[in-house]
Amino acid sequence: MPDTILVIVEQREGKLNRVSWETITAGQAVAAATGWTLEAAVVGSGAASIVAEVAAKKVAKVYAVESPKLEPYTPDAFAAGLKQFLAAKQPKLVLMPHTYQVRDFVPKLATAMGRTVISDCIGFKHEGGKLVFTRQMFQGKLAADVSFTSDAPWFATFQNGAFRGDKTEAGASAAPVETVNVEIADGVIRNKPQEVFKEAKQAVDLTQAEIIVSVGRGIKEQKNIEIAKQLADALGGDLAASRPICDSGWLPMDRQIGSSGQTVAPKLYLALGISGAIQHIVGMKGSRTIIAVNKDSEAPIFEIADYAIVGNLFDIVPPLIEEVKKAKAGG
Amino acid sequence: MLIFRKPIEGIERPQMPADVVIVGGGPAGMACALRLAQLIDAHNNEHPDSQLSKENIYVLEKAREIGQHCLSGALLDPRSMNELLPGFEKEAPIDAKVEKESVYFLTEKSKFKFPITPPPLRDHGNYVISLNRFVKWLGSKVEATGITVFTGFAGSELLFDGDRVTGVRTDDKGVDKEGHQKSNFEPGYDLQAKVVILAEGPRGSLTKQLISKFDLAKDANPQTYGVGVKELWEVPAGRIAAGEVIYTLGWPLTTKEYGGAWIYGSKDNVVSLGFVTGLDYADPRLDPQRVLQEFKKHPFVAKLLEGGKMIRYGAKSMPYGGWWAIPPVAGNGWMILGDSAGFLNSARLKGIHLAIKSGMLAAETAYHALIKNDSSSATLGDFQKKVESSWIKEELWKVRNLHQGFEHGMYAGMFHTALQMVTGGRGLRNRYPAKAGYEHMRKLADLPADGGAESHLLGAAKGDGKLTFDKLTDLYHSGTKHEEDQPAHLVIHDTNICNTRCVKEFGSPCQNFCPANVYEMVDDASQPNGKRISLNPSNCVHCKTCDIADPYQIITWVPPEGGGGPNYDGM
Repeated sequence: MPDTILVIVEQREGKLNRVSWETITAGQAVAAATGWTLEAAVVGSGAASIVAEVAAKKVAKVYAVESPKLEPYTPDAFAAGLKQFLAAKQPKLVLMPHTYQVRDFVPKLATAMGRTVISDCIGFKHEGGKLVFTRQMFQGKLAADVSFTSDAPWFATFQNGAFRGDKTEAGASAAPVETVNVEIADGVIRNKPQEVFKEAKQAVDLTQAEIIVSVGRGIKEQKNIEIAKQLADALGGDLAASRPICDSGWLPMDRQIGSSGQTVAPKLYLALGISGAIQHIVGMKGSRTIIAVNKDSEAPIFEIADYAIVGNLFDIVPPLIEEVKKAKAGG
Repeated sequence: MLIFRKPIEGIERPQMPADVVIVGGGPAGMACALRLAQLIDAHNNEHPDSQLSKENIYVLEKAREIGQHCLSGALLDPRSMNELLPGFEKEAPIDAKVEKESVYFLTEKSKFKFPITPPPLRDHGNYVISLNRFVKWLGSKVEATGITVFTGFAGSELLFDGDRVTGVRTDDKGVDKEGHQKSNFEPGYDLQAKVVILAEGPRGSLTKQLISKFDLAKDANPQTYGVGVKELWEVPAGRIAAGEVIYTLGWPLTTKEYGGAWIYGSKDNVVSLGFVTGLDYADPRLDPQRVLQEFKKHPFVAKLLEGGKMIRYGAKSMPYGGWWAIPPVAGNGWMILGDSAGFLNSARLKGIHLAIKSGMLAAETAYHALIKNDSSSATLGDFQKKVESSWIKEELWKVRNLHQGFEHGMYAGMFHTALQMVTGGRGLRNRYPAKAGYEHMRKLADLPADGGAESHLLGAAKGDGKLTFDKLTDLYHSGTKHEEDQPAHLVIHDTNICNTRCVKEFGSPCQNFCPANVYEMVDDASQPNGKRISLNPSNCVHCKTCDIADPYQIITWVPPEGGGGPNYDGM
């Protein structure tokens, strides 16, 4: 029996991670170079459609590795389930995409089997009967060729984009599918998955904002940002800041305007307590109308402001909020 | 709460064997790499059966691109380049040949021309260059030999085995402000090297680690430094000829401070001008960036720049201490080159040619170490001997006591200089002692509240936006940029000293001596003096002045995440 290459396809809650196609392409290339047999495995239940999709590609066989304990995903369950499956099937080489999920469980899996992983590869070579993988070092300045000295199974992961996902060869006919049930004992799973966290996509895109109220050091304290926020809300605008405010963590970094932040050009830019260092100016000087409030009459912001208000922002902003509200109510 | 950068502990790091690792891709490091490649090529031509590889020779450079962090006046004395690459003038980026030089003594409103140019400042035969462009070119020569230059990688720590330096650890990438690993975390590499060569420029951070670990400076004078603050200007045609060199002494400094200015005419009506202020001044309120602004207000300079435009800004420290301040430069597994060692002729304000020469000599030593497969001090110690028998020592010996002579002001300095000139550098005795620069700084209580004769040098420059600039505006023209979300690379060992003692005793001189507005005292009612130290590390231009000038010596400059720093072009 020839050696086998097993590609582990990544799915989560019935959704295929498209980068898996790249890994299957990689597997097909390794199979072509070595003459080994290519098989694929889909881990987790409820992935019948993915299994069928994979089986349509040029692979010898597709395994559906199942256990109720594989859902939801946990690194403990994946490591335990796959260890059992791989021990039974004895593939020579196990290929995976270098995804966050794989990075999460594969070190555990490999360690549990007493093996090592060649991770984040960008290619492979088959030279003189030896399979060599290429990895980047020093942020891509060097390419290192690495090979396995241990016994099989060998684990390798491929970097996103290393192979073409749209070049996966289709099979002449659908590959046979075998369902393999793995037993995961109680107590193996120590991880307790919480609800999947999605980083809140910032609702604000300051580059699209028509009105921006921006605060600088003159705001003095974090709690005072509230009055700028009230003004922004009254005007229907967005809140932004100069670097020191974001640097202190008073507002998130993505609200920073200037050379180390965003460049904006709204219709109205209201600068509250911003001195107007060139590092800030370069990020907002394209604004159509600039209103600056600063107690220092020599602040450089006034050189580019269309309206200059010399005074304490704490005296000026609260009545301004009231007037804006009145005008809006009246209009 | 300030979190400072330190290598992440308890992680596995990729290990990489190396024959030679050169830390720092400036003139010294690049000359060293190039010379080493020449020697290996010659060897391989002569010995077909015992080939040496260049594959495991690496240069680490913290800048994203070669030359980006290099700043100097700069005039190049071609002596060492003629040895390294005869005929280099034909292809190197040279802006002008020095055709005319003059030295002036400035008072507030007038100038006095020295009737003859003092011999050390005679620059005929030298070239006006932009150091960063020159090094970029030199770096391309190195890369063409097959030696790898790792740009964007800093040497963050030396690796030791007992009394031997065994390698260099590069910077950890992808560490956030709190010191936690980000999703793009990449641990620094441990480069296990047979020979480690430190060419980090003045006040190198690994050099500092090495000197302190082995107490290398115990028999040397303390190194003393100046900080050069530089602007590049485009001026209307006809103001100064390409290749014209002007040095000034005097105003705006008083007789108590050490320093002076340069003005070099480059091609395309570009003028390089800068002011070097000795970092041994007394008044903690003095601001070297302000000194340059005051200098430009002098009618002589203002007239030259009028109608022109400032296009670049930068700053860099330079070692003044001379021969007696140089520590041992070779040991078990290591060598130190260029400004890191202190190879700078302070009478001529020149160090590039010495840096290059030291790199070449170190390369010869490293080559023998590879041939003999021995990089212990028995072999590398040869570099020390080579330096002492080369023209490096010959040149530095004559001016060995120059800067020490100025420790008590300009008049004493001129007396000593004259005496040293006629005694071959000896003066009153063979070795003048020195004090570290920061020890000259005096407490506010001992100084006139209004600053006295120095008042025009104290505190932040305001700037008129045409001829003179406030620090932040100047800084913008350095192009400096860093990953913002990383720990502070200005390591303050005890911020309590800043908040309780320094603010009262010295009035927080870090705010003044830093030419990049990194240090700031912010209001904080919870502090005894109502002020708290705050840092803007992403403003840093890597000049090292803070590490040098801080009166309590509690600041250690370590490299930030590789790739960050100034973006010098034409500097």
